[in-house]
Order: sequence, then structure tokens, then C-alpha cells
Amino acid sequence: MNQDLKKPIFSSYINNTNLFDEVFDPNGIAKNVYQKLFELYGNHSIQDYVQLNNKAKSSFFNQGITFQVYENKETQEKIFPFDLFPRIIDEDEWEIIEKGSIQRSKALNLFLWDVYHDKKIIKDGVVPLDLISSSANYLHQMIGVDPPGGIYNHISGTDIIKHSDGNYYVLEDNIRCPSGVSYVICNRTALKRALFGVFNHYKTHSVTNYAENLLEILESVKPKGVDVPNCVVLTPGMYNSAFYEHSYLAKAMGVELVEGRDLFVENDFVYMKTISGPIKVDVIYRRVDDQYLDPLEFKPDSALGVPGLFTAYKKGNVCLANAPGTGVADDKAIYTYMPEIIKYYLDESPILNNVHTYHCSRPDELKYVLEHIQELVIKPVDEAGGYGISIGNRLTKEEIKVVQEEIKQSPRKYIAQPIMSLSVHPTYIDDTESFEQRHVDLRTFTLLGDKKEFVLKGGLSRVALKRGNLIVNSSQGGGSKDTWVLKK
Amino acid sequence: MSFEYSVTYNTENDYENPVENASWQFLIVPENNDTQELVGIEIENSLGAKNEFSQNGYGFQTIRINTQEQFQKLNFRATFILKKTSLNPFGQVPIFNILDNYELAQSLDFKVDFEQFLGQTKFTTLPQDSKNLFVFDTTLSIFDNLQKLNNWVYFYIHFNTGVTHVNTLLEEIINNRAGVCQDFTHLFCALARANNIPARYVSGYLHQGNGYFGDAQMHAWAEVYVPQIGWMGFDPTNNILVDDNHLKVAHGKDFKDCSPLKGVVYSQGDNKTVHSVEVQAQQ
Repeated sequence: MNQDLKKPIFSSYINNTNLFDEVFDPNGIAKNVYQKLFELYGNHSIQDYVQLNNKAKSSFFNQGITFQVYENKETQEKIFPFDLFPRIIDEDEWEIIEKGSIQRSKALNLFLWDVYHDKKIIKDGVVPLDLISSSANYLHQMIGVDPPGGIYNHISGTDIIKHSDGNYYVLEDNIRCPSGVSYVICNRTALKRALFGVFNHYKTHSVTNYAENLLEILESVKPKGVDVPNCVVLTPGMYNSAFYEHSYLAKAMGVELVEGRDLFVENDFVYMKTISGPIKVDVIYRRVDDQYLDPLEFKPDSALGVPGLFTAYKKGNVCLANAPGTGVADDKAIYTYMPEIIKYYLDESPILNNVHTYHCSRPDELKYVLEHIQELVIKPVDEAGGYGISIGNRLTKEEIKVVQEEIKQSPRKYIAQPIMSLSVHPTYIDDTESFEQRHVDLRTFTLLGDKKEFVLKGGLSRVALKRGNLIVNSSQGGGSKDTWVLKK
Repeated sequence: MSFEYSVTYNTENDYENPVENASWQFLIVPENNDTQELVGIEIENSLGAKNEFSQNGYGFQTIRINTQEQFQKLNFRATFILKKTSLNPFGQVPIFNILDNYELAQSLDFKVDFEQFLGQTKFTTLPQDSKNLFVFDTTLSIFDNLQKLNNWVYFYIHFNTGVTHVNTLLEEIINNRAGVCQDFTHLFCALARANNIPARYVSGYLHQGNGYFGDAQMHAWAEVYVPQIGWMGFDPTNNILVDDNHLKVAHGKDFKDCSPLKGVVYSQGDNKTVHSVEVQAQQ
């Protein structure tokens, strides 16, 4: 047996002080909030840890907590790699994150109302018209529609990083169908099973109250005249990468999980087919993209949607969460206007920072981007899941030329940001059988309802498992950590 | 003066294999507006399925049919009785300063308000080398330019059925210089928008007592927003302004928003669809 495995967990940890380590200070001493945890874990050997880790892994497989990766037209089922060493966010930092997430969600909601009604923000010259008119996600069918409770983005996923300056920055706002919340809850369960004792030493907020809050939010936006709404979760089906999450949320909320073919529309009301006859559906938490919702209104060959669903929504007979057309504000080019958007609607300064962004659609900024590609991250504005991102200092000369050409061809399609130095967190790496520094981000989940808001006290901390990698998306080989928010 | 029209829309759909269930949406009901009033509707389908009235995403009335029983053939027939008031398109053109006219169309508020009908869609995107195919003469009013454009499109494209189909794009239409009312209208809309004038695609029926094109099918024309006047109809297929022979059903950004029949059919194999339209004046 490898003698190294009997060594204490952190004995071979290399603390690169150029990176912002969340756990260890530059002298290699565990920071206050992590001290107890460091002691508790430090007593174990790598060997103990590996055993626990394997148990946790198999529990994920056994529960079917998997996702699928699309590559070369083939799909693979994988478990989301999980790390047993948790991330801790203390109460003061969390307060900033929570307030900042709510502020952004509210501002985005007001922005969505505006762009589908009076478009004041554009007429006042704050946001350029082009961002709306050239967005594939702007649905003209939504103009003038008043969603129940005035809510568009019931569920928002905000991706936040801690920069080497110690401040939090928002990377993007996901308000189409953000996923990942089921991992937050599963990670907590897995960690409790594996290392229950560590929870005795910390006052950690629970994350299992997400489902009840989601249900409350969904019920708060019920159509007019409905007393006790019937809510359902609409999934594209078992081949979707997030199917586990859809089924988990339906089960945890105690509502039906349906596919498009389980629903039908009659006289502009939506019904669910059941063995005891049709049952009216009032609120749909849909995890199907806009374009697939209704084959009579959007993509005609969609087999995932329900014919007539959009009209039922437009007439106010059913509520869809999130509202159709929210994607227009999920655009990475809109992101760059967030400070202005928050100021415009809330008359507040942003609580969470935005990463400085260059719009390739602006000639002077385009020039800067083309000249400084090596210092920048280039992102397509309309892709999700980390696809199509180029990190300037990792490109070869030939690759740089290709990227420059692409940007010149369609400048509106790209934005660029300085390469941010994400904080790192000690993460167990299978290949080297030791803990190493890995970059980490945080996705928070914010719910907006009629006179109700909620931020899950926790979140999905995603780690880039490849050394030095900055892209943490699960589809790009990332893992995750349980995230503890401490009570006051 | 007021006319009464009777419009009959008829479609026959044959499926190679039995269909288990299907949904159809017909966007064929004439709208009620300042010049037309729907006074009677009669609908029948061969399946005896319920004809449900609903709306499309833009608020135009639709008829929807859902079937639950197996079938291989669907015949559908709808008859509309419509009262139409005559209007003189020249009667409403006020006298104004040509400069004001263009300045209004250039303002940000105007561009924001009419964003929906100023942008390019798949069917109204001009090929790169055709962006300047028709450039407005700013010494003339916008209305005069639009009349010229109407005339220009009419002579540019030769009315010819069978050359294009419902998915033909402008590039092909411009190269072949042939097409039907849908193609005339797409080109007209694209060129009006290229000159910063909001234009929308209109589908409807044409009473062709006078030998106009657009006969036994549904017809298409354009409505354009002229600053200081409002929405005005142009029929480039016939080189005329829209008059009391044009019975409007719906409008949208392009044909895709106005497609008269949309269906979701759960069946395999081929199908054959035949449409016909008959418009009669009953003065």
C-alpha cells in the first residue's frame, strides 16, 4: 500500500499564494471560519477520505443523480463529481450575496416588464434598442402580456465568483431554466451521510426548504379566480440532461411531473390527462425552452410542447414559470448593462459587482478586444453551459487569428471580459490522491413571487477539476461542493 | 358605400396512414376593424370534432380543432359573411411638411414603438447586395415613395405560380424575379423596412371581380405605417392601394406569423392538403 495514503489529508497541499485560497492564508494557516473544519478533517488520513468519497459517489449512482453530456451527437450519462470538503460562507459575506441576488432578480423582472410594455429604458437611451431587436429570445408575442403577479423570472440562478481582491463578482444571470438546485440538496444529503459529525460544530442553514419555498412562489402566481392552484413540473423527458432535477423537484413539492403529451388545451384552459379524467392545471413550472412550449405558436415540429399552451397563458388561464421571453434578459450583452438597469429601476447602486465587459458591437471596444485578446475571455452572447468560450492566454497564435476573424464577422455575437482570477478551494483530486487548489464559483438560486422573495441559503459551488481550468460548468467537466451558509 | 361579402374557405387533408390525434389551428377568420364587420360564421368539419374559437399569439382569432379518434381524412369548410365599408385611401392623406415626415421616422421613440415591424426576419432579409434595391427619394413624401415602391415591386416580379413555395426566401425571389402574392409582399416589406418604414405582412381574402391576381387562394398584401397618417395598405401584387376588395384576416412580421393553417399531427407517412377560397360579393 502506498504509504502516502496514511498521511494526514492536507499534508501534501501546495498553497500557491498567487491564487486566492478561500481556506488557507498565505502562511498556510486555516482561516478562522475553516479552523474547526481543518481540525476535524486533518485528523483523518487520505485513505479514510478516499473510502468515504467512494461511498458518497456510489450513493449518487444508486440514487440516479446523474446528468448527460452532449458531445459529437452522442450523449453520456455521468455523475456530477462531488467533493466532500465543503465550502463555507460566513453570515456577513452571505448577506451581501443574498441582498445582491435579490436586487438583480428584481431589477431584471422590472426590465422584462418594461421591454414587453412601454420600453422606457430604451426610449431613455439607457439600453440600446439593438439589444432587444436583434435578440432571438425577444418574443413579440409577449408584448403587452401581463403575467400573473407581474413576475417574469420566478427562478433565477446567479453565477458569482470571488475574485483575488476578495470581492464577489457576478458572471451571469440565468433566468431561462436555471438548473443545479437539486445538486445543492443532494450534496448536503451526501455529506451528512458521510460525515455527520462535522455538522455538530457549525450552525449551518438548511437547504432542504427550497422545494417548499418554490411551491409557495408558484402558488403565489396562480391565475385570477383560482383558489387552490394545481401546480405541475413540465419536463422535456427522461433524455434531458436535468431530468433527475425535474423529477426531484416534483417529488419534493408533492406535485405531478408531466411531459407535453400528458397535457392538452381545451377552450384555452390546460388540463392534465389522468386515469380519473382531465384535471385542470393552473401553474406550470416548465423546464422546456420557449421555442418548444407550443408547436402552434413556436417551433412547429416540437414534440415536447402542448398545442395551444401559449394562448392559454396569454389569456391568463395558466401561469408559466419562468415566463416565456425571459431569455431576452439572460443575454450576456444585457448583463453588461446590469449596473445601469439596477440604477434605472431601483435607484440603487449594485450590491454585487459586475465584471467589466467590452461589447464587440461598439467600434472602439471592438478595436480594444481585437488588440488585447490574450488578456481577455471571449464569450458568445447567446450560448449557455460554457460552450464557445475562448480564454485569451490559453490560445495559440493560429487560434487567436481564428477568434479574431469570428469576432470581426459578427461583432454583436461576442463580448469580452478581463480574465478573472477565481478563488480556489482545496479539492480532492483522484489522479494525484491528494488535495489541490481548484477554481470555484457559486450559483445562487433566487425565487420571486407575488409579494414574496427567497434566496436559498446555500448554493451550488462548482469546481473546475482540471488544474488551472476556469470553466466550472458541469458539461465542461466540473465538479461540486456542499456550500454552507452559517447562521448568525 | 357598404358591400356584403361571402367568403368560403375549404381544405381537404388526406393522410397516408391513420392519424391517432391531431391539433389544427386555422387563421382564416376575417378580423373586425374600421372598415369590416363579421356578421356571420358557419363552420363544419368532416370529423364532427368541436370547432373551438381561440387566438394566436398576436391576438387574431383562430379556429382550433383537436381530434381524439383515429382518422385518415379531414375536410374543413368555413363560410364568413362580412360587411365592408368603402374607403378612399387618398381621402385621408393630409398635407404636411416632407422634412417633418422623415424626421419623425428617424426618432428613437418611433424606432422603439415600431421595432417589431422594422426588423428583419428570415423571410424579409435582403441579400447583402440587394440592400439598396429601392432607395427612397427624400424630396418626395414617404407616402409617394411607398406608391413608387408598390409599382416597382409589381414590375420587378412576374406573377407566376409554381415557381416559389411557402418557404422561399428573398434571395431566390430577387434572382428569379418571379413569385406569388406572398413573395411580392415579403419583398415590399423588406424594402420598406430597409428605408426605415415599419411594414407588416397581411393575410386575407381578395374579391377578384376585377381580374386581380390572388384568386382561388388566400391573398397577401402589406400595411405600412406612414408617419402622420397611420397604417396604410399596399397590394404590390396588383399595384394598387388596398381597397374594399381586400378582406383582412391577420397581420404579422412575415408569412410565418400569418400561416392560415398550422397543424400538429401525430402520424407517419405522407399527407396531401388542398385549399380553396371563394369570395362573392352580395351587394
